[in-house]
Amino acid sequence: MQRVKAALEDFGRMLIFAAEAVAWAFRPPFRPELVVAQMAFIGVGSAFIVGATGLSAGMVFALQMNYALKQFAAEGYVGGSVAFSLARELAPVFTALMVTGRAGSAIATELGTMRVTEQIDAMESMAVNPIQYLVVPRIIASVVMFPVLTMIFNVIGYGGGFVMGVYVAGIPIGPFVEHTREFMEPSDILHGLLKAVIFGLIVAVITTWRGYAATGGARGVGEGTTRGVVMSSIAVLLADYVITFIAVGI
Amino acid sequence: MIEVVDLWKSFGENHVLKGIDLSIPRGTTFVVLGGSGSGKTVLMKHVIGLFKPDRGAVRVNGVEISRLEGKELTEARQAFGMVFQGAALFDSMTVLDNVAFPLTEKRRGARLPPDEIRARVVEKLKVVDLGEEVLGRWPSELSGGMRKRVALARALVSDPQVVLYDEPTTGLDPITTDYVDGMILSAKRKLGITSMVISHDIASAFKVADRLAVLYDGHLVAEGTPEEVRQSENPFVRRFLSLWFAKQ
Repeated sequence: MQRVKAALEDFGRMLIFAAEAVAWAFRPPFRPELVVAQMAFIGVGSAFIVGATGLSAGMVFALQMNYALKQFAAEGYVGGSVAFSLARELAPVFTALMVTGRAGSAIATELGTMRVTEQIDAMESMAVNPIQYLVVPRIIASVVMFPVLTMIFNVIGYGGGFVMGVYVAGIPIGPFVEHTREFMEPSDILHGLLKAVIFGLIVAVITTWRGYAATGGARGVGEGTTRGVVMSSIAVLLADYVITFIAVGI
Repeated sequence: MIEVVDLWKSFGENHVLKGIDLSIPRGTTFVVLGGSGSGKTVLMKHVIGLFKPDRGAVRVNGVEISRLEGKELTEARQAFGMVFQGAALFDSMTVLDNVAFPLTEKRRGARLPPDEIRARVVEKLKVVDLGEEVLGRWPSELSGGMRKRVALARALVSDPQVVLYDEPTTGLDPITTDYVDGMILSAKRKLGITSMVISHDIASAFKVADRLAVLYDGHLVAEGTPEEVRQSENPFVRRFLSLWFAKQ
């Protein structure tokens, strides 16, 4: 019971922290250079791992779909099913999980170290709000860069699927591309990008909070980072279900 | 002038401060002595508004800092510089950016030209006997003593009225400790700064203090000039000081 109460209190404090961050985002001074630096770290720095994951996912999914659809002589639909699955599910979810592992853990560790070495207190003592200086740029950068990375995942994933489907499985280019156009609507891409925006917000809030609230030295920073990554991953999967349920229904 | 009036603070069942009263006149150095975990840092963080009291008040130049929030608190903090126990330099910034931080952030509306910021950084580094060669170094490349000096330069760069020192000599060798003591005295003498130092280093405390207080079990059990505190009849103060004075 005590643990449930503590968890609820922690969740409440995180919501207040998130609300403060949103409020500080609209107050001067604005620091575009910090946002750009975080976009480079979260976005550009994660592009390779996201691209590699996208390539792998697209290639494997194309092979699996080819194997399954061949039973019904419907291999031509591989392109469409790969593109559809990537756009609505695989790209936003895998991107969020990969960026959580790479950038989210670094964010929680950096802020946690700053907290336990009193760098955050020092900032506050110098009349600089640490939420505005440290947290807001990371949230904005995540919300902007998660959809960009998701698009990278989509493009490279589809490319991988195309190579596997057309050049390895021998599906003719015509049906592969034609069924993709038949299956896909712009709204499918937008659906995935909307998820990416929400996942970016979730991951940034949770990982910055776990770092910001870290206590107790190196061990506390380690625990904060682990909890940040685990909580973010679970929250992404949960949010994915909720958004899909609302958008698609049963 | 800093005034602390009937200050109480608890963390859960841990009652850290139990009715602290103290007053620090302008231009003096006030040292709070006490053992580890006695609540010295908690007291100091109330003075700069990093903690809110459960009861009581902290006034700085007549303004009750313990009641301020948001922009007003941010403005009130501009009167302070603080030197943290571990220096608390920003790992991701060079010495130049660390010391310049209060200037670049405080004056974003009317930003000082980079040359002027650099000149003021160099000037304050000179106060703590550091030259321009350290400007491009990272905190991880500095010794403990140099980190403390850079931290003091950062605390002084915006010309504060009050500087707070959190355990400035902890973990330093005797020569560097002596140097840091000299630095505190020199900052007061050259810049007329009001200083509050918290420490468990008795030798250092008696060297830099104009007035001194001993914190024990949430209370100030002795307060006065260094000589008055040395003559205190309080059993804890006698035991605490005897360990060091016996060596003299």
